Amino acid sequence: MTPIDTTRSTEMTTDVAEPAGSGTAPRARHTAMATELPPARGQSFLTLVRIELRKSVDTRSGRVLLLGILALALAGLVWRLTHLENEPVSFARFAEVSLVGVRMLLPVIGIMAMTSEWTQRTALTTFTLSPRRARVQLAKFLAAILLSVLVLSAVMVLTLGFTALGGLIDGSSPAYGSAEDGFWSGLAGIYLANALNVVMGAAFGAILAQTAIAVVVYFVAPTLWSLAAPEVFGDRADWLDVFGAFGRIAERSFDGKLPESLTAVAVWIVIPTIVGFWIGNRREAK
Amino acid sequence: MITVENLTKRYGRTVAVSDVSFTCEPGTVTGFLGPNGAGKSTTLRMLTGLTPPTSGTSTIAGRRYADLPNPGRVVGVMLDAAAQHPGRTGRETVRLSAALLGVPGTRADEMLARVGLADAAKRRVGQYSLGMRQRLGIATALLGDPAVLILDEPANGMDPEGIRWMRGLLQDFASRGGTVVLSSHLLGEVQATVDQLVVIGRGRIVASGPLDELLAGSGTLVRGLDPSGLNEALTAAGLPLEPLLDGGFRVDAGAEQVGRAAAAAGQVLLELRESDGAGLEELFFKLTAAEEQAA
Repeated sequence: MTPIDTTRSTEMTTDVAEPAGSGTAPRARHTAMATELPPARGQSFLTLVRIELRKSVDTRSGRVLLLGILALALAGLVWRLTHLENEPVSFARFAEVSLVGVRMLLPVIGIMAMTSEWTQRTALTTFTLSPRRARVQLAKFLAAILLSVLVLSAVMVLTLGFTALGGLIDGSSPAYGSAEDGFWSGLAGIYLANALNVVMGAAFGAILAQTAIAVVVYFVAPTLWSLAAPEVFGDRADWLDVFGAFGRIAERSFDGKLPESLTAVAVWIVIPTIVGFWIGNRREAK
Repeated sequence: MITVENLTKRYGRTVAVSDVSFTCEPGTVTGFLGPNGAGKSTTLRMLTGLTPPTSGTSTIAGRRYADLPNPGRVVGVMLDAAAQHPGRTGRETVRLSAALLGVPGTRADEMLARVGLADAAKRRVGQYSLGMRQRLGIATALLGDPAVLILDEPANGMDPEGIRWMRGLLQDFASRGGTVVLSSHLLGEVQATVDQLVVIGRGRIVASGPLDELLAGSGTLVRGLDPSGLNEALTAAGLPLEPLLDGGFRVDAGAEQVGRAAAAAGQVLLELRESDGAGLEELFFKLTAAEEQAA
């Protein structure tokens, strides 16, 4: 018997111990270990997502990014609280400032989720331990969205707290929803726009693979487009203006521009995601 | 058990690896030897599913790498010790892999202790020397108690003590039925560790077999005061020879024959000995020299 037999216990979902009479050599190794290893199984998708989440918070750069987003939100909220300017206190006014940093930096979570392994070359280890890359990439997308939702939720809780605080200082009862939009549907718009933003970042990251390049392209390309396109295409530029689409989605008022918004999302988010997956699956890890 | 059959990799018109075949048996340590740029890393990346081959196949423990459900439990791989996130601690690096392999975190700590990094485990990898990163990579490779180890240039950046430690570890691993392949661009670095050799140059296998057979070489090394005179004398005596780069010759004949031929022509000898693997070293030297000229 040769060590070949160890593979039998690595069958996906098989948690039976090695078949009787299988390799004596590997067993000899087992006796030399202090920790008895559990039988080998395939990697569940949940495990992959959990590991990707962990990877985005266990490095200094990851933590700095998350704390930076929270700090920016906090700074905005404090500024607003000290500059109420006699206007009515509302959740919308506080969210307006707390979301500035979030909108800018949350997509970077998505970008870094896809680029960090290539920039730091840990892809070499990750993809030798998990050769089915499509699953790993999907886990990265999902982990980035989950993490952004967590951070966004923390910012929303802070914003709620500051709104209430503003009401106390002001002596008024703050408005949480706007006239045309209730509180919850407003919140849903914020979360949806955020998720799209993060997926767009992740897609750019997956295609470009280097953090610095992906960040620059992510911020510059759509902005350049939204500045230049109206000059060239006039009204038709809306069909590819993704930030305009984000705004309409966040406010959930499409003004009859639903096809334009969906087209912009398809071009800037759906297609880059598909291309990113395709490239990421084939990119050579060196 | 590793089986590589006719692996070829082309990048555009450049052929990085050409028709490479070899096998590594359980219980052996195979040295995959060749100068930088010879195609070692490309071959190992194809073997571990990171680079799709242009043609050819490879299997580990009888299966294609991509078909192993949890490869780390069958094969321990370290392709580049430098490719680790500098912002993570050594401990976190190994524990992440442990989570992926489905082995307990305590196993990660044991492996860190085994490679001598227990005291450095809480430091960030960015502060590690290359030798320490090699140890960290080996800790990760050993995590899943694999039957096969694939290590690319593991001796790089290691001090002599580290190389000796690794030699013990790998020979122990093989003696318990494991299969090891490690690459190197220095014969001397791995000569005492490996028992099989696969030598690659310019993408092709140029020699392979048991170390002692390859090192046994054939013939005699001779160096004289007057190289051209010695060359004439030996050629006149009908002894086939090959000039070496240090001015000596490798002669396909016994030491006595060579000595007599030289004495008959009145040539003064400075060195006369059995070739003792000099053939391999010479081959290796030529590969490297050719590579440097090409560069």
